[in-house]
Amino acid sequence: MESWRLPPRAVLLAAVLLLVTAEIGGASMSRYKLELARWARTGMLAHPAVHGLVGVRDVDEQALDEALFRFDTGLRLFHMHAEGMALVVLATTTVAATLARTTVTRRALIVLLTVGGVGYPLGYLIWSALIPSYGVERGKAIAEWLVWIPFGGATIVALLWLAALTAARMLRR
Amino acid sequence: MGRPPLVVVFVAILVIALGELGGAVLSQLRPATARWAAARVAANPQAHGLTGAAEYDETVRAQAVFATEAGLSFFHTHAEGTGLVLFFAATLVASLVRRRATRAALYALLTMGALFPLGYLVYAFAVLRLGRDAGVEFAEAWVLTPLGSSAILGLIGLAVVLASPRGAPEVPAGR
Repeated sequence: MESWRLPPRAVLLAAVLLLVTAEIGGASMSRYKLELARWARTGMLAHPAVHGLVGVRDVDEQALDEALFRFDTGLRLFHMHAEGMALVVLATTTVAATLARTTVTRRALIVLLTVGGVGYPLGYLIWSALIPSYGVERGKAIAEWLVWIPFGGATIVALLWLAALTAARMLRR
Repeated sequence: MGRPPLVVVFVAILVIALGELGGAVLSQLRPATARWAAARVAANPQAHGLTGAAEYDETVRAQAVFATEAGLSFFHTHAEGTGLVLFFAATLVASLVRRRATRAALYALLTMGALFPLGYLVYAFAVLRLGRDAGVEFAEAWVLTPLGSSAILGLIGLAVVLASPRGAPEVPAGR
């Protein structure tokens, strides 16, 4: 029976820590829902121009509700993506550790999969954190260029590379 | 832990990669996708039952575009999940199922099941081509139900083998 080779311990640790962070994030969202909403609202009120607040209660409440909804969405997406990506890191680095023959390829794949997989979900957390000060769209643009595109791009490139490598091994047999 | 055949590993990695790619494309090209979907609805008025009444047609168009976006979004989330399900379930099969024929059958069922998210791509396109209800029905009948059933049968099969005292070797307690 052919067997799997485990990826380096640091990779396993990173994946497990991401899982722990995701679980804690989910629990905190539920336990500290009010406190988080209050913190975000205070931040939004401190930056009225960013959120288009005009001082008219009816108009402002609608804008604040919309921004708070996105703040909450960012936290939820962090929770979900962190859980998923931790498992993706575990599975794909195991495949890379087992099937990549040369040390350089193996290392490059494992680094891209780990850094990309662990970094990507943090973008949602950063987006949420930026919303009170920078607004929904500006916060999203910052998270996109700072985290989602580089880390998500690394993961996609590494996954396509890994799929091609697996296909090549399959055809060579 | 045992490693499943390379073709199974390949499908698992490919499905995860397509899921990631689908998410990125959906996120970056959402407005373009919505515009394209709306244009497809307008180009196919009979299938969507457009009447020429602006208000009614706009509602129908919005529902079809929403269904298409939902299909693409479900593809992203399900592909990430089913790729992982195939990876971990097939590893269990490779490690614990003794009989070769049973292993082959379970690999086949689980691999077909991992392709389940492709049904959501079919769903997204069929809605635009056949109309919302007919498109959803088509994707469900021809892709989602058969591939989903395959995944369920594969997982039930694995559970039965694991529960059977003769099916799988004893797994040492505490390991």
